[in-house]
Amino acid sequence: MLRTEINELLTQTGPGTKMGDLFRRYWQPVLLAEELPENDCPPVRVKILSERLIAFRDSEGRYGLMDEFCAHRGVSLWFGRNEEGGLRCPYHGWKYDYTGQAIEVPSEPETSNFCANVKLKSYPMVKRGDVLWAYLGDPEKQPPLPEWEFVTVPEGQAFTSKRLQECNWLQALEGGIDSSHVTFLHSGNLDSDPLFKGSKGNQYNKGDLKPFFEVVDYEGGLLIGARRNAEEGHYYWRVTPWVLPNFTMVPPRGDHPVHGHFWVPIDDENCWAWSFDYHPVRQLTEAEVEAMRAGLGVHSANDESYRPLANKDNDYLMDREAQRRGETYSGIKGIALQDSSLQESMGPIVDRTKERLVATDAGIIKARQKLRKAALALAEHGTEPVGNRPEDQKVRSVAIVLPADQSFVEGIGEAMVARPGVPQTTV
Amino acid sequence: MTIPALMSSCARAATAEEAAFRIDYPLAAARNTRVVALDDAAEQIVRRACAEPWGQARFYSTTDPGHDLVTMTGEVVPLAGELEDSNTLVMVSTNGENGEAAATIGAACKVRGIMTAGLVVTPGQLTSDALFALRPYARILLVPAEEDDLLELLRATRA
Repeated sequence: MLRTEINELLTQTGPGTKMGDLFRRYWQPVLLAEELPENDCPPVRVKILSERLIAFRDSEGRYGLMDEFCAHRGVSLWFGRNEEGGLRCPYHGWKYDYTGQAIEVPSEPETSNFCANVKLKSYPMVKRGDVLWAYLGDPEKQPPLPEWEFVTVPEGQAFTSKRLQECNWLQALEGGIDSSHVTFLHSGNLDSDPLFKGSKGNQYNKGDLKPFFEVVDYEGGLLIGARRNAEEGHYYWRVTPWVLPNFTMVPPRGDHPVHGHFWVPIDDENCWAWSFDYHPVRQLTEAEVEAMRAGLGVHSANDESYRPLANKDNDYLMDREAQRRGETYSGIKGIALQDSSLQESMGPIVDRTKERLVATDAGIIKARQKLRKAALALAEHGTEPVGNRPEDQKVRSVAIVLPADQSFVEGIGEAMVARPGVPQTTV
Repeated sequence: MTIPALMSSCARAATAEEAAFRIDYPLAAARNTRVVALDDAAEQIVRRACAEPWGQARFYSTTDPGHDLVTMTGEVVPLAGELEDSNTLVMVSTNGENGEAAATIGAACKVRGIMTAGLVVTPGQLTSDALFALRPYARILLVPAEEDDLLELLRATRA
């Protein structure tokens, strides 16, 4: 249960909001690189943190992200012409460079300095891995570029996708932190999904359906350890890191690629669920990439605008027979849609004053507390947030068997630190 | 696929407008939570939490072997009686003392189907005697917990 004002604090991320200000201290994924595939390609509309922007790639390959609307008459620059080093409004020909600076206003005299005074609000956007990242905050507070392992491994070792999720970002994030739902909602996938099946860890999962949890407060966020019985005197641990404000990783299974998510607010009622898979020390196989493209694992099959093909307009293609046969627990196919169907059904912003949390929701409770404290500390004292430093981002999820009398944090040691060329710790 | 005639008959009903039609009624009584301090420093934490307004939460301390609890007013009460109508029990430890009491409480909760949680209040310490004292008996542990984690947990679960 959360008071209304706290729920609003955590769920509102537009300009001028406290949580919005917190988000504006981090690089956020805004586009897949494939959305701006070549120089002078068509511009793309971007809405993030309740700001409407236009993204384009100019003739020299520079990425621009700026106010969607022309300074002249408010026309959407999505209709613009991306040509010769800038984006030109088709209405009266005003042209902007990748920084948002007006560089041509054809109606003005050739010697006029009018352009110099016209600049659209713009933000830096960079390519790291398969992703274009933007920073929407104070330029003087810009953190180092993203160092997440999935964008720093060699080409061919990572795959990234995104899908529209039609609810507030916090509902989606909380699903990523809540390890206890996996035993139920995703129970049908361990044996069938080619990106999960076959690991020894799956046997531990299925052999102990009532895991114990330890929620460990660490500098970048939380480590959520789910503990199951293994061989005599040992526990099987699955350790999920959450890094503020919106990054989670899923513990690995066998030699399958490691995966995780970003949950990025579009506005207060929609978010992008980013999903990535990577392998620290080998190329992804063709079969793995094919499975990911097909929407298996943590990915989804989407239309051209990245909306899942199974969505609220078709009841997520509910299959009651598959539910009855036990192939899927909820009747919805695929982990991504199993999550989003339920999280969207809660409504665009769930009323947390009415929820009935239980003790096993402690991870969610603690994450909300840390988000609230970080947003308030930034607003009231200018306290630098965590999670935007390279050392916070070089993190891995872990699956490991440890002696029963060992702290899991002590036991995993360096395994949760991303190190180039070092395999993931997995069971 | 059949297209439902009403929006409320399909998944598209997940809008703010449709949320207004969710029926509104008072929630049932708060959880019957018991909070037990396992050492002196933990008792101070629990005593301060006790001063807040709660629904049906009750607060105690105990020492080995843990068959009796001591209320915040000093009354000694049997553990078994205090668990009769409870459904959640939170143990608080700062140093791992009274591990036998933790075991007694954990076992009593297990046979009664009472959810157990543990707060390991050891600021800055990821590994501690308190962790190992509570680990076998708490379905969920916060490590290291801060004092206000107890308040957050109790408020969030409507204790």
